[in-house]
Amino acid sequence: MKHGKTDIHTLEPVVVACDLITPYGLGIDACWNGLLSGKTAINSLDRFDTGAFQTKKAATITELKTGQSDSLVMQMLKPLLKKASAVIPKDTLLILATTTGEIDILEKHVLSGKGNASESAPGYLLEKVQYASGIKLPGIIVSAACTSSSSAIAQAGAMIRSKECDCVLIVACDIVSEFVFAGFSSLMALDKDTARPFDKNRSGLSLGEAAGFILLMDEKRAFREKRDIIGEIAGWGLTNDANHMTGPSRDGKPLTSAIHKALSSAGMHENAVGCIAAHGTGTVYNDAMEMKALKSVFGSRAVPTYSIKGGIGHTMGAAGLVEIIVALRSLREKFVPPTVNLRIADDEAEGWVSTKTGTFDNPVTISINAGFGGVNSALVLKKWDKQQL
Amino acid sequence: MIISGIGWISKKKYGCIKKGIRKDYTDVKSLCLKLQSESVFSYPVKSFGRFDVASKMACCAGALALYDAGVKYSKKYKQDIGIIGTNADGCLKSNLNYFKDYVQTGRKLARGNLFIYTLPSSPLAEASIHFGFQGPLLYIMFPQKQVPSLLQYAEGIISRREASTVLAMKVNEEKAVCFVLKEVAKTK
Repeated sequence: MKHGKTDIHTLEPVVVACDLITPYGLGIDACWNGLLSGKTAINSLDRFDTGAFQTKKAATITELKTGQSDSLVMQMLKPLLKKASAVIPKDTLLILATTTGEIDILEKHVLSGKGNASESAPGYLLEKVQYASGIKLPGIIVSAACTSSSSAIAQAGAMIRSKECDCVLIVACDIVSEFVFAGFSSLMALDKDTARPFDKNRSGLSLGEAAGFILLMDEKRAFREKRDIIGEIAGWGLTNDANHMTGPSRDGKPLTSAIHKALSSAGMHENAVGCIAAHGTGTVYNDAMEMKALKSVFGSRAVPTYSIKGGIGHTMGAAGLVEIIVALRSLREKFVPPTVNLRIADDEAEGWVSTKTGTFDNPVTISINAGFGGVNSALVLKKWDKQQL
Repeated sequence: MIISGIGWISKKKYGCIKKGIRKDYTDVKSLCLKLQSESVFSYPVKSFGRFDVASKMACCAGALALYDAGVKYSKKYKQDIGIIGTNADGCLKSNLNYFKDYVQTGRKLARGNLFIYTLPSSPLAEASIHFGFQGPLLYIMFPQKQVPSLLQYAEGIISRREASTVLAMKVNEEKAVCFVLKEVAKTK
């Protein structure tokens, strides 16, 4: 029983549809197979001049073109939502998660005087996404730095569980822009080559871009509509470091608290967790903080842990949603993807992360994210078990 | 759920609802100093000068609301209080400030201190650091009826037990309103 409810099998949020586009290509198969190949999609960047920056590399989607009538995020989202619109109910609540959205509109205005910078504000993008998805109700935007989409999914789950709504579409997107690239470079946060999450010699993150969506429903409606259930969002926890704008809390306690909250929300003991989809940016401090938090929760039990950011880079506001989609695939396959670009595991991560694929027994994954301003999120994902109904 | 305090800042005035305070100010820097001298801020705001304007407004409005509600806070003893915020255009002005500065200086080196405010959640994060609030932190944009929607959202966070107290603010560079919402203790 969770939260004192007696009828837990009708209120739990389940994923009934999802899709994405990442630097590995369009679709979940492309992303999953790209990760399993162990090859990174982080490459030389030609979207803008990188000569003055820390690195010339990022993970981009080569089909995206600047100077088109659609912004870069809409170029990612339109094909995804067009394909999905048939399965999205009209009465769905839309939650859009992004950090910078259509920032290329603002860039264009500042660089060339063309267009209207105010149209880069997130409300304009929300309208476009609502139209592209065919949803009738006005949605909302959730933005919480690099936990934007995981926080949005947590909020959607909470709304479904508390019966505020029974169907939520979470759409997430962010692009590699000169705006963001120059900023991360100024903070000396980028790896000169490619990000190496949890590696002994890691030295920074690589930026990436992605877009995707998850359609969440309560079990009862999903069952009634005979939906294919991909997995369950079983619990969530959101916390904040209240410590520093760009650096994570060194002791990892607020992230530990988010994980404990998520487990409590799921009504689970930490021993039930079989796998960890880490934030794993490849920065020295983030990865160290995460390992502290994980060891604080799981003790000496080395839970199979991976980061996908060595493969597709840090996709910022989209990262959580992309990582949850990958984690659901991992749960279905009972297969832990490798941590791409890992060479020598950091002493603290030794035995937890691997360059190879692995297996896990308990079909429960914790997906964690952290971001600027000290935000932390943890979500408990469960493999769907038809026996439950 | 009850609203236990409200702080507000307009272009020239600031105040608290319950305490009936309504005063003038000239600019946000002087406002911060006034709020410190009036003990509205429990302690000085670290690095206030480097904040963007929206973050300054968020901290001042938050302090006024907490003062109105009688909520004590401390950096040392952090509390599980949530912060949510909304406005009409995210962080558009901070985005423009940052990117224009970068372009005007030759597109070679961006200023990190301007970059960190190019997230809609940054003003809320500065407030959380000052007040020591470790609950959920979310920027949420509602297309219509922003303040009623914000309050309803904060009520949802409390009723779902994601936090027992929430600081909910609508804030931009020119004005701010902040509410302290908290759970009502149930009596037998």
